[in-house]
Parts: sequence; structure tokens; C-alpha cells
Amino acid sequence: MTRGEHLSFRTGADFELELDYVVVGSGPGGSAAASLLSRAGRTVALCEAGAWRDTPHMPASVFGALRDLFSDFGQLMARGRSMIPIVQASCVGGTGVINSAICVRTPESVLEGWGTDHGLGDFLTPAAVERAQTEIEAELDVAAMGDGQLGRHDRLLLEALAMTDREAHPTSRNARDCRGSGACLQGCPTGAKRSANLTWVPEVLTAGGCVLSCAPVARVVFEGERAVGVRGRFQNPDRTYRGPRGAAFRVRARRGVLVAGSATGSAPLLARSGVRLPALGKGFRAHPGSGVIGIYPERVDPLIGTTQGASSIHHSDDLGIKLESLTLPLDLLPGRLSGAGATLARSLAESSHMAMWVAAVNAEAQGSVRCARLPTFRGGPYGKNIVSYQPTKKDVARLRAGCATLARLHFEAGATRVLPGIHGVPVELDRDRVHLIEEAPLDNRAWTWILSHLFGTCALGDDPARSVVGPDLHVHGRRALHVVDASCLPTTLGVNPQHTIQAVARLTAERLANCEAA
Amino acid sequence: MSASVRKRWRRTQVRVLSAILPPTSFVPGIDHERCSDFLARYRREVPFLMQLALNLSVLVFLFSPPLTGAGLRPALALSPVRLERHCAGLARHRIYHLRQATLMLKTVAGLVWGADPAVRDSLGLAPYAEDPRDRRRS
Ligand SMILES: Cc1cc2nc3c(=O)[nH]c(=O)nc-3n(C[C@H](O)[C@H](O)[C@H](O)COP(=O)(O)OP(=O)(O)OC[C@H]3O[C@@H](n4cnc5c(N)ncnc54)[C@H](O)[C@@H]3O)c2cc1C
Ligand code: SF4
Repeated sequence: MTRGEHLSFRTGADFELELDYVVVGSGPGGSAAASLLSRAGRTVALCEAGAWRDTPHMPASVFGALRDLFSDFGQLMARGRSMIPIVQASCVGGTGVINSAICVRTPESVLEGWGTDHGLGDFLTPAAVERAQTEIEAELDVAAMGDGQLGRHDRLLLEALAMTDREAHPTSRNARDCRGSGACLQGCPTGAKRSANLTWVPEVLTAGGCVLSCAPVARVVFEGERAVGVRGRFQNPDRTYRGPRGAAFRVRARRGVLVAGSATGSAPLLARSGVRLPALGKGFRAHPGSGVIGIYPERVDPLIGTTQGASSIHHSDDLGIKLESLTLPLDLLPGRLSGAGATLARSLAESSHMAMWVAAVNAEAQGSVRCARLPTFRGGPYGKNIVSYQPTKKDVARLRAGCATLARLHFEAGATRVLPGIHGVPVELDRDRVHLIEEAPLDNRAWTWILSHLFGTCALGDDPARSVVGPDLHVHGRRALHVVDASCLPTTLGVNPQHTIQAVARLTAERLANCEAA
Repeated sequence: MSASVRKRWRRTQVRVLSAILPPTSFVPGIDHERCSDFLARYRREVPFLMQLALNLSVLVFLFSPPLTGAGLRPALALSPVRLERHCAGLARHRIYHLRQATLMLKTVAGLVWGADPAVRDSLGLAPYAEDPRDRRRS
């Protein structure tokens, strides 16, 4: 093969290549690191389990998105008392392709905590993170959404927050030219969302690196304690494919291996590769969330406007929740509404009068991720992983307070009824009965949760008993093995994570490039 | 499974999904033909566990009327009024796994219903374009 080549699914002879670095996973973390290393003159191979889809390839329907973009058809669940869906993508660009593109800088309080509690003060200084994030914002067209881009559901939330003297802002997103199609979950049909499949990954190719798509890495390869490459086998992304199996690949890394398979993918990969550390796979954290739908007398047309154009951090400190507007595709709405049969159909008939707002909890719960012993049937990398996680009573109480707040905000904005979607609470509530949300059960099985902001399982830190990656940025006890995705963040953030993941990945890559230069 | 058994089973699945998401005077319900085509695609394309989950959920729906007080007969043999009671009862049943089975049925019904051009039109939404189902190959 030649440099600057994209290798997708292929059969036939096994092959081997050698470059300076191998990066596993092309989400916000992996792609940020890979592009920085490429700019520093290093050759990089970026191995991604999913396919590479450009703007014209983006699916329109949710079923198409589940099949073409999501990890293992979106079937990964966090198991605990309740089953909570974990939403992740598996494609070039990672979950950044299906996310809502919101970019929020890392709160200083979080960096302070990482400095004092995890020994990261020298590495992740506020100044360094700010510099990285300023550069990223310029590269990815990050801009606050303008009035013409917001949907009515966004504007209603902003108005309700303003009326009640709460902090409110239009979101800043890496989609300056967003056309408000509300289809972020299906990738972006207009190319406005500057996810890595359109930006940093092509840059790796242009700089002479290689991109391997449909290429799940099975193992990191070691010589002694040093990581020297990865190996895997191409997998056809089409489940109906019945031809010969994919070719095996082996990529040798002269300088190092960077793992960025996400908070659910990196730890199992390291474990499969023989890394044994007490904290590996532990400390899985999240911002679990749920929403409240308001029904308005006039049309809201919730599918018109940016996917998530309005946000508030007003209750970040007192309630530990962030409030946001959300566009839910029509195909997913029945699963979110209470009831079945005629009750469900009646609610659906009002869908153009609905606005959905969500509360994301900065949760204290911790869980774990491990490899399943049983193989899955033609599963992707996540299908073989098991996530155990259960929000605590305190987390449920926070969500409950958040949902009650959202319900009241809906009424401020003019809603006539709300649909809380909580088991044990009536399907619809009017203004006088919002208190029923506050009295809803604290059993997490009563709530419709979703997990999309994930953290930990390969945490950075100075204590090998509590972390996987040391402040020298190598996995404890190994050389030339690094982790650059959401899994290395030692705590939750309380804000949307991709910007922090990108900054940490980029600073890690910068340090690696500088150390070698020195 | 023989072709005829499979066909009968698919018809049952379609009827269950239609009961979960029936038509109203404002919006159409599940279109049987579209739903049948969708289920054929679903069977071909989704992972085994998701097929299993759908099939188990359909079975739960069919045989749980005694648990919802809707009667002793299988769900699809109930009168329309009792079938409606069964749907409502299952969706808010105190047993979590029964609620989860209903959620699975609602999710699959939603995938068919929300992509139906007739439904989208009735709600003032443009039809979906065809999924290109393609990727960068080199
Ligand atoms: C619906 C949704 C909306 C969101 N909205 C926002 C938002 O608006 N703003 C925000 O900040 N965050 C948002 N997030 C969260 C954000 O997208 C994630 O936190 C972020 O993408 C995580 O980045 P990552 O690099 O850690 O992992 P991912 O983005 O998940 O990427 C990991 C990649 O690694 C690949 N991989 C895994 N294992 C292997 C292997 N063995 N071999 C090869 N490849 C492998 C996967 O296929 C995947 O493509 C959202 C998430 C979801 C689901
Ligand atoms: S709302 Fe539509 S146009 Fe805007 S970024 Fe999302 S998918 Fe792209």
C-alpha cells in the first residue's frame, strides 16, 4: 500500500504496514490526536471499526442510522436494576457523527479537581486546555446558534428560562452553517456538522497517513512492556454480506499506540490485550438523562431547527443537572411516550405541537465495563462488551427535580399539558399536578433514561490503584501505550464532553510529539 | 422455520404492532404492507439479540392478557375494547419486564410508523429520502 491511502473492507491476503503511530478509534478523541500527530510530521494509521460515510452517504431514516452509523445497531444497554440504552456510533468520526455538535469548554472547577485529586495539574492546566479549545473551535467552525437556526422548541425554552430569571443560552456548536434540519442523530445531511469524518480524518490522509475503516482492532501487540502495534481483521459493515471473511491486518507502530475506542470500547480492548490493572474497566460514569414533553396550543414543529439549540447551566450547582432542548426524530417518538394502543396514538397525533426538553444529570453513580465471554452474532466491538451501571437514589432524585423544573418551565412557556413519561405518574399532567413528578418513585426502573455522555474506565491519574494512565501519559506499567478518549477522563464534567475529550487528546498528542522532538 | 410458518408469524407480528400503534382520525396507524416489508428487512439486518427481543416481546404481548385483566384469550383474539385495555395495561404494568417488552414493541412500531410517507405527510413532514446505504470504499 501507499501512504495517504484509505483501506476499507477487503478479503484476500493478510497484510502488514508500519508507521509512526497507530490510533485505534476515530471519534472526537482519536481523530483529534491523529490530526495533531500528522501535523507534527508523524505518519499515523487510524484504525476504525466502523465504515467511513461522507455527507451523501448519510441515512435519512432512524433505522438506516441504527444500521449504518450506530454501534452494533444501538443494542448496547447498561445493565443494573434497570436496562438503560447506551447510544454510541461506530463509524469514521465516531459518536461525533451522530451527536448534537454542542461544544462547551471544560469548567475550571473540573480541571482544579483533576489537579488536586488526580495529579493532573501539570498536564491539564487551565491555560493549556483553553489554548487547545480555542484552536479547535476555529478549526471546527464552532459558533453560537443564531436566531434563524433555532427551532421553536429551542426558543420556547430560552423564553421560559428568561421569564423565570434563569441562565439561558443558545448552544455553541461545531456547525456554524447548520440549516436546522434536526437530523443530527442520522449524521448530518448537509455537511454543516464538522464531525471528524469530514475534517480531521481526511487531514490524516492528506498528511500521508493511512485510514483503515471497517477495521476493528482485536488486540494491541506488545514486545515486552512496549506497545508495538495492533492487529485485527476487516469486517464487512453489511450484515447481509455472506462472502469470504475479511483480511487480517497488522499495523506496526514505531513510536506508539493510542487507544480511543470510547468509554465502553477502550478498556475491553486493553483487557483483551493482556493489560491487567485494578482500575481498568472500573469507574464508568455518565450523565444519564431523561426528558419532559410539553404540548402547546399552537404548532411547535419540533423537527424544524437545530437538534439542540437551547441550554441552561442554571441548575448545574444546586441540582447537578443541565437543561437542554432536544429534537427527537418521529421514528423514535413512540418509544419515548407513555402508553400503548389508543393512548399512544392520541399522543402521537399531537406531535407537531410538542416540545421536548431534557435534563442531564451529573451523576455520582459508577459502574464498570468488561468483555463478554460469549461471542455475539456478527457483533461489532461494543456488542462484546458488558456495561454494568445503575443510577443511585441521589441521581434519580436529581433527575426528578430536573423533570419537575422542566414541566414548570413548559407551563411558563404556554404549554397546556406535559407528558412526563414516568412510570407511576399519569400519562398527562396539567399545571396543578406537576407536584406528582416531585412525588414520583426514586426507583430507577420508573424512569426512561438514556446514556450518551460517558466517562472513565481507563482514567488518567497518578495513583495506579485508581487510574490506568499515568501523568506521564503512558498506561501504568507499559511503554508507548496511551489512551485519548472519553475513557481517560477521571470524572464526569457536568457539561457536554466532546470538547474536553478533543482537548485532552490533542494535548496528549502534542506532548508525545514534543517529547520525541526533545 | 418453514416459509409458511414464517409468513404466518410475520402476519402476527404486524397485527401486534398495529395494536400497539393503531390509527386515529388524525394520523394513520401502521401500514400492514410496509410493516411486513420492514420486518423482512429487520430479520435480515439486525443482530440476533434484537430479533430475539422482538419475537419474545410479541409472545409476551400475545399471551399476557390474564396479567392485564383483559381476559384469558390470546391478545389477538380479544375484542377491540379488551385489546385496548390490554395494550394500556401492559404499558403501565408493575412488572418491569412486561413494560420493557411493550417498549420494544413501541420502538419497532415507531421505526415503521415514523418513516411512513403517509404518516409524515399527515403531520406536515417531508418524506424521508431513500437511505443511500453506501460508504467510502477507497
Ligand atoms: C446522541 C448523542 C448526542 C451527543 N451530543 C453531544 C453534544 O452535542 N456535545 C458533546 O460534547 N457531546 C455529545 N455527545 C457525546 C459525545 O459524542 C461523546 O462523548 C464523544 O463522541 C466520545 O468520544 P470518544 O472519542 O471517546 O468515543 P466515540 O466518539 O464513541 O468514538 C469511538 C470510536 O472508536 C471505534 N472503536 C471502538 N473500539 C474499536 C476497536 N477495537 N477498533 C477500532 N475502532 C474501535 C468506534 O467504532 C468509534 O467510532 C453525544 C452523544 C450522543 C450519543
Ligand atoms: S441540525 Fe441538521 S443541518 Fe444542523 S448540524 Fe444537525 S443535521 Fe446538520
